[in-house]
Amino acid sequence: MRVTNSMISRTNLRNLSQSLGRLQDAQAQITSGKDFSKPSEDPARATSAMSTRKDIRRIEQRLRSIEDAQGWVGAADTQLSSALDRMVRAKEIAVNAGNGINALTPGARSALATELRAVRSDLLVVANATYAGRSLFAGTAAGVAYDGTGTFVGNDEPVIRDVSPTNAMTINVTGNQVFGASGAGAGSLFEVLDRMATAIEAGDRTATATEQMNLDAAFERLRGASAMVGTKWSSLEQLSVRTQDEKVALTERLSQMEDIDMVESLIQVKSRESSYQAALQTTAKVMSMSLLDFLR
Amino acid sequence: MPNISSLQTPLSALRAHQRSLETTANNVANASTPGYRRQRVEMTTAVGEPINVGGVVTNSRAGVDSRHITRAADDLLIARATAEEANLASAEAASATLSRIEAIFPEPSDYGLASQLDALWGSWNELSTDPASPSLRFDVLAKATAVTTTLRRSAADLSAVTTGIREQLGVLATKVNDLTAELAAYNSGVIGQPNVPPSMLDQRDRLVNQLTKLTGAVVRVSEDNTVAVTIGGHQVVQGLTNERVEAPNGVLRMVRSGQVILPTAGEAAAMSTTINDIVPRYLAALDGVAASLVSTVNAVHSAGYGQDGVSGRMFFDPTGVTAATIALSADVAGQPARIAAGAPVLPGPVAPGPLDGNQARLMAALADSATGPDSRYQQMISNLAVETRAAKQRSDVQSTVVENALRDVSAVSSVSIDEEMAQMIESQRAYQAAGKVMATIDEMLGFLIERIS
Repeated sequence: MRVTNSMISRTNLRNLSQSLGRLQDAQAQITSGKDFSKPSEDPARATSAMSTRKDIRRIEQRLRSIEDAQGWVGAADTQLSSALDRMVRAKEIAVNAGNGINALTPGARSALATELRAVRSDLLVVANATYAGRSLFAGTAAGVAYDGTGTFVGNDEPVIRDVSPTNAMTINVTGNQVFGASGAGAGSLFEVLDRMATAIEAGDRTATATEQMNLDAAFERLRGASAMVGTKWSSLEQLSVRTQDEKVALTERLSQMEDIDMVESLIQVKSRESSYQAALQTTAKVMSMSLLDFLR
Repeated sequence: MPNISSLQTPLSALRAHQRSLETTANNVANASTPGYRRQRVEMTTAVGEPINVGGVVTNSRAGVDSRHITRAADDLLIARATAEEANLASAEAASATLSRIEAIFPEPSDYGLASQLDALWGSWNELSTDPASPSLRFDVLAKATAVTTTLRRSAADLSAVTTGIREQLGVLATKVNDLTAELAAYNSGVIGQPNVPPSMLDQRDRLVNQLTKLTGAVVRVSEDNTVAVTIGGHQVVQGLTNERVEAPNGVLRMVRSGQVILPTAGEAAAMSTTINDIVPRYLAALDGVAASLVSTVNAVHSAGYGQDGVSGRMFFDPTGVTAATIALSADVAGQPARIAAGAPVLPGPVAPGPLDGNQARLMAALADSATGPDSRYQQMISNLAVETRAAKQRSDVQSTVVENALRDVSAVSSVSIDEEMAQMIESQRAYQAAGKVMATIDEMLGFLIERIS
């Protein structure tokens, strides 16, 4: 094939500009720290990077939900433990009163009744406990769960948090579940305590015995609720750890997809730099030569 | 035996080599002129008059004929290179347009639409944990506004791509008219001429090359040396006349007949594809994202209850189902309390407690929908990435094809300085030799004349 000066210069220029372009690409990767800046540079990886970014953001949301749920469930757990403590005392009073209510003086019975009423009002404080300004046992109703007389004014609706893709966890227990619903069976715990205090004051042996059984049932119910909350707490703990691990793994995967391998990139820049230099030198040599140099 | 006419032979040689030297000078001068094909003096033995000397008839020796200058060019190779250049022009234009569209959607990033959608779902998730909080409610509106703003801006940017290209197509039509007019003028210059001068052929090639790169025009050279040009099957140059084209509203068409031209290659082809296919396709995909966002969010929202216990409100304006028209509905815009975070109590829709956030929770879960706006958007970005990459690769491959085709043309046509120098020395020596011959004949004639006197 016939080769002419303009052909050589065009081919060389084209190769030089390609070589310079490759060098620039490698340098851009290092300065941006990213393997690709546009999806078209690597469509497959860009698409999975988008999915992974989305997954990470969803996981972050879930972590916030889990944190909120943990705060809520933790607060409920603490409150229910102290409620159980107070219930133990109430049971002691009931037992004391039941063992020979006839032998007690009216003054002693009145003292027991007063203490029982104090326990009742302590429990009412627990029942109106809040987390972040919201009543723990009022369901989705606004304001307090129980009014001053011990009547439930909340509702039985669940408070749900999406704590994992497949698990929408009900994090609340409502006043009716914990303390018993008024009008069902023996009524709420507060009604039982009320009636018992009255029975002790009156020295009514039969009523005291009945209410003692009701109190035992209420205690079991409270313990059941407390156990349920405890279970939620531990499964939230596990979820929190697992979700955080998942986030770390995803972040690492995203970094593998998007970020450059610094060592590899630096070597690449160096090698492209030297190939560009070599191209420049040979081009300069070849292009400056012609027959003119040898004619005189 | 010399006679006076013997001087004609060295004279023709002197002329021929002078012409040759001039041609070399011209070649060297144009060594780097784009589209220049090197020229050569065609030297042939001249056939002289028959002479009868002593009964023997011979042709006189008339020296060398150097009237014709030809150019070194292979028309087939040139035509092929021009066609490939037209394909390259369209591939490059398509690739540039797709890159421009890709730049409208900065993904994957922390500020593109994908992350804004996630921020919207995230704000619903936050709201579900504390549905009474005015600031969280306001945040939902703010995140939704960010999404609608981005969708609208992206749609406007996409439309701007078309607007820009419509204008470019108008400019292109003007250029095409100029070129076809010049080709018609060329035709009138060469019609009926037996030999077209090389410089005019170069000019013709240059015009054809520009026209083809713009429109993928097909050019045929007739026997009378005129060129006939068609674009997409429509005759634009024939003989001494050219037909004008125009491009109102992004459609290339013939001025006189009004027929629409569908260019098959060249920049115009890429422009047509952009206006009629690429941009509408991505605009439709973006509209799909917007429509899906409006319908899925509204479906969940209208089933929920606001803080005021009212249900059935739309979150997005149900009439704005394109990316350019998406907006918050008048029901909730500026009224965060009306955002329906609460889910109806089943069975039978009953207003939930004021602190119920279950509908907001269901809304946040839309993020995982396989047919929702997020996955549609991701699909669109993925398609765009694949298409952009393919266009760029096509353009890269085509650029190599063009490079090879141009090298083949250059191999025949371009000026080699070495060759020209050799030719120069050859001409110089031959010129000197012809001069010597002339001097010798002159001497011999002089000798005879002196003897006679």
